Amino acid sequence: MPARHLIVGGGTAGLNCIRTIREEESSPSEITLVAAERPYSRMVLPYYLGQSIAESHVYTATPASLQAWNVKAMLGRRAASLDTATHALTLDDGATVEFDDCLIATGSRPVKPPLPGVDLPGVHCFWTLDEARAVIAGVTPGSQVVMVGAGFIAFTILNAILARGATLTIVEVAPRILPRMVDATCAEIVERWLGRHGVTVRTGAVLTSVEEFDGKRKLSFKEGDPLFADVVIMATGIRTNLEWLEGSGISVSAEPGGGILVDDHLRSSARVVYAAGDVARGPNRITGTLEVHAIEPTAQEHGRVVGSNMAGRDVAYPGSLVMNIVEVRHLDIASFGQWEDASADVYTAVRRERSQYRKLLFHDGRLTGAVICGPAHDIWTTNDVGMLKGLVYSGVDLSAWKSHLARNPFDVKPAFLATRTTERLLPLTVLGRPARSPELPQSVAL
Amino acid sequence: MKILNLHPEKCTGCLRCELACSYMQTGAYQPSKSVIRVSPLEGYTSYAPYTCTQCMEGWCMTACPVGAIQINAAGAKDVVDDKCVGCKLCTIACPYGTMFYDVDTTKAFKCNLCGGAPACADACPTQAITFDEAAAVDWIGPFAAERTAHVLETEAAMVAGRGLAEAR
Repeated sequence: MPARHLIVGGGTAGLNCIRTIREEESSPSEITLVAAERPYSRMVLPYYLGQSIAESHVYTATPASLQAWNVKAMLGRRAASLDTATHALTLDDGATVEFDDCLIATGSRPVKPPLPGVDLPGVHCFWTLDEARAVIAGVTPGSQVVMVGAGFIAFTILNAILARGATLTIVEVAPRILPRMVDATCAEIVERWLGRHGVTVRTGAVLTSVEEFDGKRKLSFKEGDPLFADVVIMATGIRTNLEWLEGSGISVSAEPGGGILVDDHLRSSARVVYAAGDVARGPNRITGTLEVHAIEPTAQEHGRVVGSNMAGRDVAYPGSLVMNIVEVRHLDIASFGQWEDASADVYTAVRRERSQYRKLLFHDGRLTGAVICGPAHDIWTTNDVGMLKGLVYSGVDLSAWKSHLARNPFDVKPAFLATRTTERLLPLTVLGRPARSPELPQSVAL
Repeated sequence: MKILNLHPEKCTGCLRCELACSYMQTGAYQPSKSVIRVSPLEGYTSYAPYTCTQCMEGWCMTACPVGAIQINAAGAKDVVDDKCVGCKLCTIACPYGTMFYDVDTTKAFKCNLCGGAPACADACPTQAITFDEAAAVDWIGPFAAERTAHVLETEAAMVAGRGLAEAR
């Protein structure tokens, strides 16, 4: 009997898992996909919002591609409970699916603060495709938009809101913007840049309520004047979708951020159940600490590793690297690894007049984190962004270059080249083999 | 597979590869839009060309959320412009720093081996760039290590307060 693989969740982790199973397996297996929505890429929704791509562009699977992959797709269904003893998943409509192994990749959902009025019409999250459609319908030229929250997600849609001809105000409860992506110095540069590009930023603003007022939404704060908006976008954080696993016996972390505890093969406490992406609490590549890294690259790598293991290979995962990049009004901002670390040797270079910032963090000779910021057209500032990833990811010994980099944090390239980082990187692959072109639905022979 | 084989000891720093590359890739003679980039070393007395190795992992390709980076007929990882949304994820996923973003097209761009006839290799007057059947290796590392050693020693001496003269 062919192996029965069950994939719960149609996001980046789930789709990468399916593709990898089909790439790796030696004999055909049955794959069932349970997903609440038709698979699409959340990463590219901002470009749909900004009208630079069509809605059709966001999908990562089509009925034809799922058929080519020979996937039994149960779309529009949510998982309700998991029985690890009988290897059965129950869905929200009561149907059950039996499996030999299962991937939990149910991702996250946005959370709004529990305040009066946050569920009023015109108050949106921007997370799902449906929510993107609602925001698109609401934000028209001349609209006044208030975005609550100044984190990464908010910043990914900033350009798109402005591109729709709206005016934008961002309010953030923390004393500064991007509190979980860059340090305070970088945040200040970004905030000034936004100010010069027509975005109003209000930090330290504690929202107390939203109400309807004369056809607008009135946002009141603990201190200061209220704001009025046609559209309010709540980007106030996310939470993993794991409540449905209660009673399954799968070990979930009690630490902040939660997440299914996984081993180095991304198996949960139940051997036949894997977890990937936002719901998995796996090792941080730099520190080894178990953490949830709710970012696209981690979901992708997790998904492929699980797919490979499901297909019968033995692929260990050395851990994920936190990294983010966002561009706001042509200012690039990126960070890698442990970018805020009191125990590190920290070297920075700030050129406020050119909106440039660079921060390098070392433990002995090893680069463990970095922040980079600069205008996208200033190519020398941002050109080597990938090399910073290479240095952090490979853990190459930079001892001989540390003092040079302390004085010239922008001059990373000669250090990268001369420490033979390329030689270290070339043999590294996630699955122990060359990756294949993603045009698989057409090329897989079944 | 044929790949770009780089011989830094033959590079004169003339930048013809960058001009040829940018013209082939973007239609402009503009080194900032070249995906092969010549690094000056040892105080601008040595030079080394550097570009994508078409690595096994294809970090850019696996990172792309919409499958916009694919392997072309020449075996190179290539950006499919119609699919690329310009999210820049590939530029931080590539650990070699050889994935770029074009502010004018708002797309990512990289070495695609010009589809099998690389313009940089054609343009190089000293055969510092050749297009050969070979496995990717770290072409530049040993050369760069040698050609930066003196600069590093000098800097270290300055930091130690001994001054340039003594370091020499």
